Amino acid sequence: MEYLRVEGFRKKFHQTEVLKGVGFTLQKGEILVIIGASGSGKTTLLRCLNFLETPDEGKVYLNGELFSDAAVRYSDRELRKKRLRFGLVFQNFNLFPNYDAKRNVSLACELLARERARAKKRELLAAEKGIARLKAYRRISAEAAAMKREGIAESHARADALLAQVGLQEKRDAFPYELSGGQQQRVAIARALALDPEVLCFDEPTSALDPELTGEVLKVIRGLKGRTMIVVTHEMAFAREVADRVIFMADGVIEEDGTSEEVFGAPKSEKLKAFLKRTEEHGWI
Amino acid sequence: MTSFAEVTLKLLEGFGTTCYIFILTLVLALPLGLIVAFGSMSRFKPLRYVVRTIVWIIRGTPLMLQLIVIFYGPGLLFGVTGFDRVPSVIVAFVINYACYFSEIYRGGIENIPRGQYEAGLVLGMTKVQIFFRITLLQVVKRILAPMSNEVITLVKDTSLARIISVVEIIKSAEAFMRQGLIWPLFYTGVFYLLFIGILTLLFRYAEKKTAYLKV
Ligand SMILES: Nc1ncnc2c1ncn2[C@@H]1O[C@H](COP(=O)(O)OP(=O)(O)O)[C@@H](O)[C@H]1O
Ligand SMILES: [Mg+2]
Repeated sequence: MEYLRVEGFRKKFHQTEVLKGVGFTLQKGEILVIIGASGSGKTTLLRCLNFLETPDEGKVYLNGELFSDAAVRYSDRELRKKRLRFGLVFQNFNLFPNYDAKRNVSLACELLARERARAKKRELLAAEKGIARLKAYRRISAEAAAMKREGIAESHARADALLAQVGLQEKRDAFPYELSGGQQQRVAIARALALDPEVLCFDEPTSALDPELTGEVLKVIRGLKGRTMIVVTHEMAFAREVADRVIFMADGVIEEDGTSEEVFGAPKSEKLKAFLKRTEEHGWI
Repeated sequence: MTSFAEVTLKLLEGFGTTCYIFILTLVLALPLGLIVAFGSMSRFKPLRYVVRTIVWIIRGTPLMLQLIVIFYGPGLLFGVTGFDRVPSVIVAFVINYACYFSEIYRGGIENIPRGQYEAGLVLGMTKVQIFFRITLLQVVKRILAPMSNEVITLVKDTSLARIISVVEIIKSAEAFMRQGLIWPLFYTGVFYLLFIGILTLLFRYAEKKTAYLKV
């Protein structure tokens, strides 16, 4: 079943058009790998999907429903809700330097749990009228407090489980500056997983790392197979191995797309052939 | 003959006013400075320009002049009674220091990598949550050193209050000068040194407490 459909993304910065009508579809649980020379618009595409940029034109359908439309201006509240359904792992990790690994992972969940408890309290209080509200106040406060505690405990348990999943259980108390680049990126992946996004995006997750550290990060991503993911990468061997579908971008358009075998095994366009040849010579671009 | 104890008591009285001006200015100017900082970084251009112009004027003119304008201005310009002496001092100091603080805040906030903000957004956090949970503590650490300079300057700037006849510690000492006694004036220096010594220790403590933040 078609799970994600991106239609006609266009984005201009000043006068330059960076995305010139980009669209693709993705099945649930598939991994889409995006390759292409630097400057071809890959980052911009992921940023548009995560509402860090607003495309000038384009629509996204998720699970058969219209999910976002560039023509609609969403409120901050709506944007927040939409952002939760996508996840993004950045090229340079962007961990929160003032928190240890565990808090980096649990923070967003914890804040949501607090908000939910507050909303519940408001809702319960609103249901009571007049003097009954005063009488119920203590009971409802206690209920909300219990809900908050439970939510926070859950976030912590989840953070522990996720850190274990990325192999960093014993680093849970370490601050970002105490971790290697590879470890930081693994924490960032755990953090992105904490909210269980429906589509998880990676923007060149290993290109800020020393070559000997890329392996551990790629291994973690490999272990996520089964999730719907979009991975921008220059690691061609990895791309070839994990991709269900591949998109080759050049100058803001999708120059070629297909299965891993089609794109890497039998490239059609000259640009893709040249690109693959270059990456073979240099290992990466 | 005026005794040492008498002078000390009299100076302590003035020093009380000094402390009062200092504390109230700090308590009000610290949050106001943050609001001014947000104004000067606003994406709404007219607001940004207005705020930056105000900051430029306040930082570009002597505090003494601002004090005089606020105390005498309303009466001279509009024929209305303005603030009393001490409130005038507070108003002038708060506005002046809020502007200085705002520039320090702005420097601190703008230096936080944007990526952290975006990471927070992607995780569904609100701008307010991102500011208070992620940015603020890092800003605090970054601005501790420039803040300590400003705060120490504020201690000494309180002596400007005497030009509109507020009896802070220097003004108290001046009363003794009229009796031909000069040493109480030098004695005030001890008060300032002690006060600033304590502040310096506090700032050093805060720096130690935030040393774990490698930002
Ligand atoms: N915020 C921005 N303002 C102006 N130009 C931008 C901005 N972001 C990206 N660009 C430009 O858009 C083009 C595509 O960038 P990007 O999406 O980062 O490509 P890629 O990730 O494929 O290297 C580049 O030429 C870049 O300079
Ligand atoms: Mg990029």
